[in-house]
Amino acid sequence: MSIPLKNPVAALDKAPSFSTRSRNVKIASYVVLSIFSIFYIWPLFMLVNTALRPLTEYLRDPAGLATNPSLANFADAWELANFPQYMLNSAIYTVTATAIFVATSLFVAFPIARGYFKGSGAILTLYVVALFLPPALIPQFQLILNLGLFNTRPGFIMLFLINPIGMIILVNYMKSIPRELDESAAVDGSSYTRFVFSVIFPLIRPAVATVTVLHAIGIWNELILPTIYLTNQDLYPITRGLIVFEGVYGSNWPGIAAAVLMLMLPILVLFMFLQRYIIGGLTAGAVKG
Amino acid sequence: MAIMQKNYLFGSAGKWRRLTPLMLLIPGVFLYLLIALGPSLATSVYSFTDASGLRGAAVNWIGLDNYREFLFEGLASRDNIDATLRTLRFSVLVTFIQFTLGLILALLLNQKLKGRTFFRTLFFIPVILGVVIQGLMWKLFLQPRGGPMATIFDWFGTQSEFLGGLPGQAFNWVIVVQIWANVGVTMVIFLAGMQTISEDLYEAARIDGADGWQLFKSITWPQLTPAINTNFLLNIIGSLQAWQLFLVLIGYKPGTQVLGYLVYAEGFGQGESPAFRQGFAAAASIVLFLLVLVIGFAANRYVSWREDRYMA
Repeated sequence: MSIPLKNPVAALDKAPSFSTRSRNVKIASYVVLSIFSIFYIWPLFMLVNTALRPLTEYLRDPAGLATNPSLANFADAWELANFPQYMLNSAIYTVTATAIFVATSLFVAFPIARGYFKGSGAILTLYVVALFLPPALIPQFQLILNLGLFNTRPGFIMLFLINPIGMIILVNYMKSIPRELDESAAVDGSSYTRFVFSVIFPLIRPAVATVTVLHAIGIWNELILPTIYLTNQDLYPITRGLIVFEGVYGSNWPGIAAAVLMLMLPILVLFMFLQRYIIGGLTAGAVKG
Repeated sequence: MAIMQKNYLFGSAGKWRRLTPLMLLIPGVFLYLLIALGPSLATSVYSFTDASGLRGAAVNWIGLDNYREFLFEGLASRDNIDATLRTLRFSVLVTFIQFTLGLILALLLNQKLKGRTFFRTLFFIPVILGVVIQGLMWKLFLQPRGGPMATIFDWFGTQSEFLGGLPGQAFNWVIVVQIWANVGVTMVIFLAGMQTISEDLYEAARIDGADGWQLFKSITWPQLTPAINTNFLLNIIGSLQAWQLFLVLIGYKPGTQVLGYLVYAEGFGQGESPAFRQGFAAAASIVLFLLVLVIGFAANRYVSWREDRYMA
């Protein structure tokens, strides 16, 4: 079977020029990508470079290179910025809120995905609608304030117990789990709670991982809500702590750079291990139309 | 088969009690209504009041006063309208540039190139770092006296105050950082879209002698429609609501405010007055919401028109 070509000879003529062109395209691609990369690598490099230099040296020449690098800034920032406390707070908020969110969501998502209640479709719509409604910022503040939870850990954690997009991802994934499993579990006399935790949960692990990672990163990086809801320094998460540190030590950029790197490290480590879940979550449903 | 589709969980075969799943469903839904949906709907109610940030303080109904103040009262209202127009400008520039750069990066990195994983990761990383790291990194990079970017400017014999200079200049640098921070998402969504396009289509077109531009125009672009639409909408809506980099990079400075920041500053005493003007802030956030709604709706109409044209 031959492929109908308009002009086979012309196509043959084109072959060598095509490969030179494709090589040129490759070279051009590398040039463009390298130019772009400069704007990603250089700021990062300067951050590391600055963090390794003594303050006096930095002030003399801010763009200079670290001639005798030292880790002193990291130790200083760790002390001055009250890092251990802030890191611990961030960890408490992130872990607690994410765990509660995932546990409660499983039991919302499962019956919705199955349509086990009248109006479960309507519940899902409630979650979708939230994506298009006005921000909840002001009434949320009034709520926390009037519940007496302003400037408390439980009040702050409460703000992170929901995630409409996460819920939608869970529901969609659960729809792909065969219903026959439910029936046999029910017939076997497995309890509902045990079924969801020990049968459904392992089967939807990729979706749970995606939702967990996205939710946790969101809390870890959040700056505005701690600025609004926490006035007690002892309760600050690391993001707020770092902004306060920047305000106090405004010109001590080596110290700030060291602190920024210490905040960055856990996120980068997490990213290296969980990359595919993060990217999977961000592109979920985006390309199917 | 129809019976299989039915609710056998609570049918005669099942042994689970109806109450357990319901009891377990309630906490999640209750939290959602309490923290998200309820407050979200209540924003419009608060916009008609003089609510403050004091616990137990009386909240009075003042009708449309907040909106009147926002739109028509003296110099302040001119600032508000400027902030609204600035929000639009920010959104148009960010959407257009981020969309284009994201598409270019995705096209380049969809080729078989050595080191493409490295490049993809590099451009994506800022996305997960959050505004504090993104902002502080660039604040350091844009130090006006002898900083890295200032040094480059120096080579070309120019100078800039960057974030501390003229409001217009500072504003433009925030646009740069905003795009730098988020173009990775746009790129990744485009890449995911490109991976769904069958290689056979390109193969066939190449045999017919199509060149690179023709391949892009008649295969990639139409086939990429879902990803294009997603990115277009996400960029528009995201950039209309983005303001946190302004907080980290320049603070609440006259001539640079956008609506999202105005809501926060007025509502939580970070603006000119230290009072928590929550009723007014709620009105401002309704204005922002309407802006997002109208533009989002128009964009959505355009997107479905495109879809009919390309996908039908």
